[in-house]
Amino acid sequence: MSVMTKPAAATPKRGRKLPGWAIGMLGVAGAIALLSTTSYLTNFPQLTSSGTTQTAVRLALPILLAGLGGLWAERAGVVNIGLEGMMIMGTWGAAWAGYQWGPWAALVSAMVFGALGGLLHAIATVTFGVNHIVSGVAINLLGAGVTKYLSTLLFFPVSHNPRESPPVPKFDTYSAAGLTDWLATLENEQRVVLSDVAGILRGLLTGVSPLTMIAILLVPASYLVLWKTRFGLRLRSCGENPWAAESLGVNVYVHKYIAVIASGALAGIGGAALVLNPGQPGYLEGQTGGRGFIGLAAMIFGNWRPGGLLGGAALFGYADGLQLRSGGETVLALLYGAVILLGVLVILQLVRRKWFAAAFGIAAAVVLYFLYYSLDEIPSELTSYAPHMVTLVVLAVASQRLRMPAADGVVYRRG
Amino acid sequence: MSSSTSVRTDAPAVVLTGITKRFPGVVANSDVHLTVRTGEVHALCGENGAGKSTLMKILYGMQPPDEGTIEVNGEQVRFKTPADAIKAGIGMVHQHFMLADNLTVQENVVLGAEALHGIGAKARRKIQELAGQTGLNVDPGVLVEQLGVADRQRVEILKVLFRGAKVIILDEPTAVLVPQEVDELFATVRGMQEQGFTFLFISHKLDEVRAIADSVTVIRRGTTVGTADPKTVSSRQLAEMMVGSELPSPETRTSTVTDIPVLTVSGLVLSAPDGRALLDSIDLVVHSGEVVGIAGVEGNGQTELVETVMGMRKASAGTVTLGDDDLSKLGTLARREAGIGYIAEDRHRHGLLLTQPLWFNRILGYQTRKPTAKGAWLDREGAKRDTERIVEEFDVRTPGIDVPAAALSGGNQQKLVVGRELAGDPKLLIASHPTRGVDVGAQALIWDEIKNARARGLAVLLISADLDELIGLSDTIKVMLRGRLVADADPSTVTPEDLGSAMTGAGSTSAAVHEEGEN
Repeated sequence: MSVMTKPAAATPKRGRKLPGWAIGMLGVAGAIALLSTTSYLTNFPQLTSSGTTQTAVRLALPILLAGLGGLWAERAGVVNIGLEGMMIMGTWGAAWAGYQWGPWAALVSAMVFGALGGLLHAIATVTFGVNHIVSGVAINLLGAGVTKYLSTLLFFPVSHNPRESPPVPKFDTYSAAGLTDWLATLENEQRVVLSDVAGILRGLLTGVSPLTMIAILLVPASYLVLWKTRFGLRLRSCGENPWAAESLGVNVYVHKYIAVIASGALAGIGGAALVLNPGQPGYLEGQTGGRGFIGLAAMIFGNWRPGGLLGGAALFGYADGLQLRSGGETVLALLYGAVILLGVLVILQLVRRKWFAAAFGIAAAVVLYFLYYSLDEIPSELTSYAPHMVTLVVLAVASQRLRMPAADGVVYRRG
Repeated sequence: MSSSTSVRTDAPAVVLTGITKRFPGVVANSDVHLTVRTGEVHALCGENGAGKSTLMKILYGMQPPDEGTIEVNGEQVRFKTPADAIKAGIGMVHQHFMLADNLTVQENVVLGAEALHGIGAKARRKIQELAGQTGLNVDPGVLVEQLGVADRQRVEILKVLFRGAKVIILDEPTAVLVPQEVDELFATVRGMQEQGFTFLFISHKLDEVRAIADSVTVIRRGTTVGTADPKTVSSRQLAEMMVGSELPSPETRTSTVTDIPVLTVSGLVLSAPDGRALLDSIDLVVHSGEVVGIAGVEGNGQTELVETVMGMRKASAGTVTLGDDDLSKLGTLARREAGIGYIAEDRHRHGLLLTQPLWFNRILGYQTRKPTAKGAWLDREGAKRDTERIVEEFDVRTPGIDVPAAALSGGNQQKLVVGRELAGDPKLLIASHPTRGVDVGAQALIWDEIKNARARGLAVLLISADLDELIGLSDTIKVMLRGRLVADADPSTVTPEDLGSAMTGAGSTSAAVHEEGEN
C-alpha cells in the first residue's frame, strides 16, 4: 500500500462543542431564571403560575405537532407550507370521528385526514414536480374549503351550526396527585425562584392527557428515528442531496412520500390536539388560526432539529397561554422580560466587541422599556396576537445562523 | 510511466457490447464496445458530449441501454438501479461529488449500504480501517462541508470501497485537483490496483491518461473509435483520435503587451464576516493587450478577487480603476457598462438563465445598452439579431435562438457566454475558468477568440485551474495563496509542477517563479 505524504493540514473540528442535551438544559435554566426574575421584579406571579404553564402546554401541543410535521417533510427536502391545511383537515377528522366514537377514534381519524393532505402534497410535489410553495398554498385553501363543505353536510344536521361540530368527548387527564399538592404549597409560599420552579413543574404535571404524553414522546421518537436509524439517514439524505442518495441506491421518491405523509399525519394530530383541548367544545371553523404556520416557524427557530423545535413551540405556546390566561397586563410584563434578555445579549455582544449589534440591542431595549413604562396594559386587540408577534421577532433575530437542509424545496427529478 | 502489473487472463471484468442509447432527438451512444480486463486501469477518453458520461451511467445502472449487453466477470447482467451495479461489484466516483455537505463522513459513507455494517460504531471501525487505503485522515464524525476537495474525493472512493466494489469508475477525477493532489490520487490508484482493484478512468486530460492507464479506449460522437496502448501512442495521436482532426493549442505566439494600464487594482482588501481577510492588499495591473493569469488552488481568493473587481462583493479597502475611471464605488452593472466583460466561473449560477431562450440570455448584463435596449425599453429584435450573429461567429451549435439555454451542451453554452461578453468591445475581459467542462473543439474556439481580442488590445484577467491553459495563454502569471498574490511566474519558462508547488505554498522550486518582493 502506498504511503501518502499529506501536508499536515489541521484536522477539522467536530461540529458542536456542547452536546444537544446540554444546550437544551442551559436553555431551560436560562428561561426559568429570566421568568422568575421578571416575575419578581414586576410582581406578576402569573408569569410562572401553574395555571399559565398548564394553558401553555395545551396551546403548545398543536404548534409542537405541526412543527414536527414540518421537520419530517423538510428533512426529506419537501417544504411543507401546507401544514395549516393538513391541520384543518385533522381538526375536522378528529371532530367527525370523535363525537361518534370517542377521543381515541378522534386521534386516529385526525391522523388519517392529515395524512391524506400529506399524500396529496407528496403526489403534487414528488410525482408531478409542482413547486412546493404552490402546492402547499393550494392545500391550505383546499383544507379550509373541503372542511367547510363537509361541516355543512355532516355537522349541521346534528349541531344546527354549519361552523361547529357537536361536542367531542375529551381524554381523561391524569395528575401526579401527591407531588402536585406539595408543589402547590411551595408555589403559594411565593418564594423567589423556588416558587416559580414549583409553579412551572406543577403546571406540567397537572391535567396531563394521553395526547400530551404522545406529543411529548414524539419529539425524542422523531430524533431517534431520523438520526439514529438507517431509514432516518436515508430520509435526511434526500433532503441534503437527493442525487447522491439516488446514486447510492436510495429510493428518493419513496422516502419523500413517507416523510410527507408522516408530516401530514403529525399535523393532523396537531389538529386533534386543538379539538380535544379541554377548553374547546369541538371543531370550530377557523380554529387553527395559523398554528400550522407558527409550527413551521417553531421548526425554523429550532434550526430543523427536534429539540430546538420543542423550545420554539414552548415559547409560542407560553406567549399564547399567558395572554389567554391573564390578559394584557402580564403580556406587558413579558416586555420587561424582553428588556432583561436584551440586556444580557448586549453584554455578550460587548464582550465579543460587536459594537453595532450591541448598540442596536440597547436601542431596542430602551424602546421596549419605554413601552413598558408608558402603557398600563397592552390593548386587548393586540394581546391575542402575542404569539404571532413573538414569532416575528424571534424569526427576525434567530434566522441569521440557521442551517436548513441543503436540498430543501428543490424539485427532484430522477436521472 | 505506466505501471505494468500482473493482468490476469481470465474473464474480463467488464464487457460492453453494442450499447446504444437514444434520447429524444439525439443518439448519445451508438454501438459502443468496451472491454476492461480485471486488474487494469482502463482509460476512456473523449470530448465532452461524446457520450462518456451516458455510457458510465448505463454501466452504473442509472440508465438502461436501449440495445446491447453488459457482462461483468463473464456473466451477462441487467442493471435497473445503481444498487444492482453495486451488488455486482461496480462503484462510481462521480465528477461532481455525490456528497451531502451537512452529513458526516460516516453518514455519507454508510448511506445506502447500512445493511453491511449498520450505521453505528461497527461502521465507524470499518471506515477507519478502510480510510488508510484512500489516504483519508479525518475523524468519520466530521461534517463533509469541512473537508477540502481532495479529501472529499477520498470520501467518494471510501464509499465505493465500503460497498466492496472491485471495479471502480473514476469520472474525471483530476478535474478538481492540483498537480500534487493528482500525484497522490495516482499513487492511491496504483496501490489499490496492486490489491486487485480494476479502474475505469474517464478523462480528457491525455497526459494523465498516459501516466496512469494500462489501455485507452477513445470515444467520439457516441461511438468507440478504438483502443490504444498508452505506452506507444502519443498524446497528440490520442487527441486526434478524440477530435478526428488537427488540434488546437492554447499558446499565444507574439506578445501584444502594451504599457497602457487598463485595470489597476491597488490595496484591495476583502474581509469575511468573522474578520478574516479573504483578500489581503491585492495590487494588480493588467495592460492593454495583456493576459494576466491567476494561478491558485481553488478557495484561495480567486473567486473573491473576481467578484470584488466586478462589484459583486463590497471591498473593505482599496481601489479598482479601469483606464481613468475609478470603479471602486460603482455597482456591477455600472462596471460592466464601463467596459468589463465577465465570463463567470459557474455559467449555470452566474452566466445564464437555463430556462430562458438564447436571445434572452444575450440581454443579460446588457439590459441598458445597444443593441439589446432602446432607451428604457428592451430591444427584442436587436437582441435576436445579435444572438444570430454570435451563433454564427462563435459556432454555437443550436437548433435556433429560441431554444432554452439548457438545451445546449456545456461547450456551446460557454461559446454563447464568450460571444456575449466580447460583444460591445469591452476594454477588459475577466475570464474565470473559461474552458472548464467544455470539449476540445469549444476550448480551441474560446482560446482563439481570447487571443484575437488580445491582439485587438483587450486586457484579460484569466483565472484557471487548468495550468496548461494558464501557461499557454498568459503573458504574466501571478500565484494566489490565502488571499494574497504571493509569487510571479514567467509563462515562457515555468512548468505546471513549479506552479503547483508555488500554489500549495511549498515555496518556489524554480527560477521561473519569483516570490513576491524577491526581485
